[in-house]
Amino acid sequence: MSAAIPRQSCDVAVIGGGPAGLAAALGARRAGASKVLLVEREKALGGILNQCVHDGFGLFLYKETISGPEYAERLIEDVVKEPIRVETGAMVLDLSAERVLRINSRAGYRLVEAGAVVLAMGCRERTRDQIEIPGTRPAGVLTAGSAQNLVNLQNLRIGREAVILGSGDIGLIMARRLAFEGIAVKGVFEILPWVSGLERNVRQCLLDFGIPLELRSTVVEIRGRDRVESVVVAEVDEKLAPVAGTERIIPCDTLLLSVGLIPENELARRAGVELSPLTGGAVVDETLMTSTPGVFSCGNVLHIHDVADWASFEGFAAGERAARYAAGERGGGETVSVSAASNVRYALPQRVSRGLAGVEWSFRVRRPVRDAVVEVKGRTSGRVYARRKFPRLLPSELQKIKVGPAVEEDLEVVSP
Amino acid sequence: MSAGTVIDRLTCVLCPVGCALAVLKDDAGELQVEGNQCDKGVPFALGEVLHPMRNLATSVPVAGTAARMVSVRLTAPVPRELIFPILAEIARLRPQAPVRRGQVLLANALGTGADVIATRTVV
Repeated sequence: MSAAIPRQSCDVAVIGGGPAGLAAALGARRAGASKVLLVEREKALGGILNQCVHDGFGLFLYKETISGPEYAERLIEDVVKEPIRVETGAMVLDLSAERVLRINSRAGYRLVEAGAVVLAMGCRERTRDQIEIPGTRPAGVLTAGSAQNLVNLQNLRIGREAVILGSGDIGLIMARRLAFEGIAVKGVFEILPWVSGLERNVRQCLLDFGIPLELRSTVVEIRGRDRVESVVVAEVDEKLAPVAGTERIIPCDTLLLSVGLIPENELARRAGVELSPLTGGAVVDETLMTSTPGVFSCGNVLHIHDVADWASFEGFAAGERAARYAAGERGGGETVSVSAASNVRYALPQRVSRGLAGVEWSFRVRRPVRDAVVEVKGRTSGRVYARRKFPRLLPSELQKIKVGPAVEEDLEVVSP
Repeated sequence: MSAGTVIDRLTCVLCPVGCALAVLKDDAGELQVEGNQCDKGVPFALGEVLHPMRNLATSVPVAGTAARMVSVRLTAPVPRELIFPILAEIARLRPQAPVRRGQVLLANALGTGADVIATRTVV
């Protein structure tokens, strides 16, 4: 006979100890939760911040620009001052719709019944398989974040000559990092007509080091037997299909991929959480609660952020709401749905309690646009609930729009 | 529009408007800035062209602990042309644990007034 599996309980369980999860644990404490559990699968708290040694973090949360590790340490210092149970090197294997976590850690396997759960697992990088680059399968093809880990945390030399596919911020920052290390970066290739990352990074990470950026182009083949020997790049047409005759061979031994991030929602699925195909994250209401009662979501597992500070702000809010749920507070009542239209790729929250005033949405556009008037409108009535003019909207930048009046019907967020 | 050769194009990053700036050199060799919607755009663009300043961050091996590396950065931006000379100075650093966040590992790097500090605590 096997021994009974230990069962414990807590008020709020936070899964993931990065910028969102650390803030969620703090938020739960501030809202009065007494038993808060923070579970992190890595050996240390901080999440991906630990390998982001560049500065630019903290401008909104700490009103100064600091590096990722400093940002993480400051949040961690606040967490360890609180009676929060922090468990690192611990893996949440399963989460049920009844908020029972199955946790495996050095202490063994156990069940934890949580009054409320905050999902803060972050995201993964899109890989070669997900963008289906043809060619051989040699060593030397890495995601930009893996390369960042190997270089910044493990002091490994990843190659001599690199090509970067995709112009996400991590790819741009790694281009500069490789230049620092004396690795020749032969070029950054972006399939879209615009850069995915921040313009500041184009200037400071590419132009400063004479690294070429080619838009409307992509890698169409990887060559090499044991190690990458070259990649073939080609221009693409309006439908993003490679244009025959434009192929060019670029000798290199390393290909970095910076081609997008995917929220890591395996646990959310197991708990029956409804996911949005637009964000890859949960569908949430104004309290950041998912379709599974008592399960909340924040940070990059909810939707991809360009600034860590906003992931933390979402974490504080989700933690506070989770604590209130665990204490018995229930919203209930009818909700209206909110959709994205035209140039708005997604808007969040996707559900809002009917009659609620002062709701703020996060949204992201598909294409860059200048002098755009964004509106939140009744989907059938056409009534304008909010209208805000933006001098500039970029796909790389998460934006906000706030609605003053009480919401009485299904809405859509529209941008030209 | 003034006559002149465009020597740089950049997006102003001082506010969310993000003006598309152009720096031109006229026949007399004078620099002019176009595209700015406010006064701040001019010194920003000229600064970027004439004396760009950059912060820099990297990591260095640390001895006496399980962690392999300690991340570092400068306390203030330095002239862009000093990035590689300062990186060479940083590459010589071999701090010994414990290292505290904010600890100065190299003071006044190459006389710039900026210090190299640790950005994480390694014990």
